[in-house]
Amino acid sequence: MGTRDLFEAARQAVPLRTPPSAPPAAPPGRPPPRPPRPPESTPTLVPAAGAAPAPVPRHLWLALQLTDLPLAAVASAEECAGGPLAIVDATHVRRLVVACNPAATAAGVRPGLASNAAYALAPGLEVRDRASAREERRLQQLARWATGYTPFVSLEPPDTLLLEVRGSLRLFGGARALAGRAVRELADHGHAVACALAPTPRAALWLARGAPGTLVESPAHLAGALAALTPGAAAWDERAYEQLARLGVRTLGDLRRLPRDGLARRFEPALLAQLDEAFGTRPAVRRRHVLPERFRERVEFTCELGSLGHMAPAIDRLLDRMGRFLRVRDVGVARLALTFVHRRAAPTVVPLGRGRPCGDAAEWRLLAHERLGRVELPEPVLALVLRTSVTLPLSGATDPLPGLATEASHANAGALLDRLRARLGDGAVTGVCLVPEHRPERAWRRVTPGVETRARAGRAGPGAAVGLPGAAARVPDAPRPLWLLATPERLRVQQGQPCHDGFLRFEAGPERIESGWWDGGDVVRDYYVARTRTGVRLWIYREPGDARWFLHGVFG
Amino acid sequence: MNDSLEALLAGAQVWRARHGSAPSMAGAANAASAANAAVLPTGWPQLDAALPDGGWPLGTLIELLLPSHGVGELQLLLPALCVAGRNDGSGKDSGKDSGKGSAEEPAICTGDGQGWVVWVAPPLAPYPPALAQAGLDPARVLLVEADETRDRLWAMEQALHSRSCGAVLAWLDAVDDRWLRRLKLAAEAGRTLVVAFRPLARGRESSPAVLRLVLAPADGGVEVEILKGRGGPRRVGRVPVHADGIT
Repeated sequence: MGTRDLFEAARQAVPLRTPPSAPPAAPPGRPPPRPPRPPESTPTLVPAAGAAPAPVPRHLWLALQLTDLPLAAVASAEECAGGPLAIVDATHVRRLVVACNPAATAAGVRPGLASNAAYALAPGLEVRDRASAREERRLQQLARWATGYTPFVSLEPPDTLLLEVRGSLRLFGGARALAGRAVRELADHGHAVACALAPTPRAALWLARGAPGTLVESPAHLAGALAALTPGAAAWDERAYEQLARLGVRTLGDLRRLPRDGLARRFEPALLAQLDEAFGTRPAVRRRHVLPERFRERVEFTCELGSLGHMAPAIDRLLDRMGRFLRVRDVGVARLALTFVHRRAAPTVVPLGRGRPCGDAAEWRLLAHERLGRVELPEPVLALVLRTSVTLPLSGATDPLPGLATEASHANAGALLDRLRARLGDGAVTGVCLVPEHRPERAWRRVTPGVETRARAGRAGPGAAVGLPGAAARVPDAPRPLWLLATPERLRVQQGQPCHDGFLRFEAGPERIESGWWDGGDVVRDYYVARTRTGVRLWIYREPGDARWFLHGVFG
Repeated sequence: MNDSLEALLAGAQVWRARHGSAPSMAGAANAASAANAAVLPTGWPQLDAALPDGGWPLGTLIELLLPSHGVGELQLLLPALCVAGRNDGSGKDSGKDSGKGSAEEPAICTGDGQGWVVWVAPPLAPYPPALAQAGLDPARVLLVEADETRDRLWAMEQALHSRSCGAVLAWLDAVDDRWLRRLKLAAEAGRTLVVAFRPLARGRESSPAVLRLVLAPADGGVEVEILKGRGGPRRVGRVPVHADGIT
């Protein structure tokens, strides 16, 4: 036992001994390993060590890191140029600043500061929460722009685009020209960007973060460029950095000189894998960003058309073309919009929506004509535009076997809802559900049919299945009327007796309902079932100590 | 001329009052009812016995004529609504005790073979706790509000065409006869329970509905009279829809 521990200790000690010999070799020879990140606007392009003709690699990756994406996603250009503004990560405990505008930078605010510290530095600081979803959308928009340079664009969330540009070099006149143009165009869009080019995607990524502007075209120069980077460029977790600091590792070159088995034992496997990917000793797999597809088409009329009836054939043709577009891709859309362009008035936009994606032109035609029946055009129409939302895969439902009509009736039910809503409006089509509540008027509410009722059933399901008292209490035992008046109606009282079309005869009751003292809707009522002269059964109540009677429901 | 008349009658294309049991019509009538055999028991034995087909006919139009809302029309229909749209169509276990069964089934929505119960333009929203007491899952209820009669009829027709509804209830007043025929045609494609509630005064007008009942409130129940139906007009008597509602 003892000897084995010693052996282990000796093996672990090996990597600890190596670093001290390595760092002295690196720092003295060259300037600080991490060049300071150039300030905003166009970064200068640092020529790579080997711009001379060299063996051309199979791939060249251009990394474009949008350093101000969190800012650009939530603030306009004027706001960025205005007073101090910082974007904070609201999900972090200390609300760390993730980006700030020049005014805030001038006051000393830096990304990574806690928001308290930032307030202390710039008292007039405006702070906004980070909008990750908008950043993601912006990144996807820029990915669409990037397809102008190469068909292979890959996203590296949260803020970096990776472009495989090996095949585009000749067209754009070389790597420098291409990178310069990309950076200029992004600057025109109002984005500050850090770029780097390398034969492996991970190296490009790390260089963009650690040494922006580096262009490495030849694999032979890759190792040298990477070795000068600090490990901070790799965005590993904090534990890894603490360990690296303890080992005395200051650059990726130091790290690579450490024995592999020691690294494998001390760090997450991902670290070694990423290191190998960066240096090109292990192939890296990138997922290609596929642009979401939409259908958009415009029809110009030869003369202005005033009536929707005249436009019906054009609308049908548009929808048919959309149907073909969707069919060959085997996809559907859930929303589309018909826009009527007028000469002076603002365009009339008619949105159409369905519960689930649909690619069938005939179904959309039905819906469109129902909806268009309610549209009023302010002016004659010059042109018609059909735009769809992003295409979605169809659910792949096929016709069920006879007798297994479940799926079909589900789809039909959805189609029925869509059609009713299109003509009568969303609010006119509702479902109902029970609410566990004693006050009669609050024991139910309207819900969106289909969606919420399913969710409710799902929630109520487990309780109902095991017979929890709470689940059973949803349906009262005492009689309830089928029609409940929206507001109780006061009954005439004669000789102390409630009247409704003559004296009422009491059948059942009283049922005391007393509830709601906690939310201000305090209710104390004694309910009775009473019958009119003709035999109609009513649900009436009286508040204790009050002579007035109210009609609250009819048993129907 | 007699031959052509006989041919017409043999083809059951002409409906003759009080001739449902005539020997020459028996075969045709049976064939017609077999073709449209779908019938849903009402849940009230007395009413089942009195109705021509022994229950609510499905896939056709039924009219209930009311002096006012709330005479017991919903109580009369509820047992049938609970089982309407079930795939097997045998609703023999209908009635009051089906309440527990449907409460235990999880996630009843529109797609489990039951389908929606569509309420087109009811005078008030039906009260869900009462529906649940009667055994009708509120999740199956679809309320459609439409002010204009045209929209109401259109919504009914859409619901019938979609084949996703177990029952379609509508509150109508003055309706063009052609529209009612159109609805009846739409209903014939499926096995949906289609009920139109109309004011009593509309009983004087003709209607293509196969079954027209006049309801009136009565002690402990509802007074039912068949205004139109195979076998001719007759009184059914009091159906005790409220008798067991008293606890």
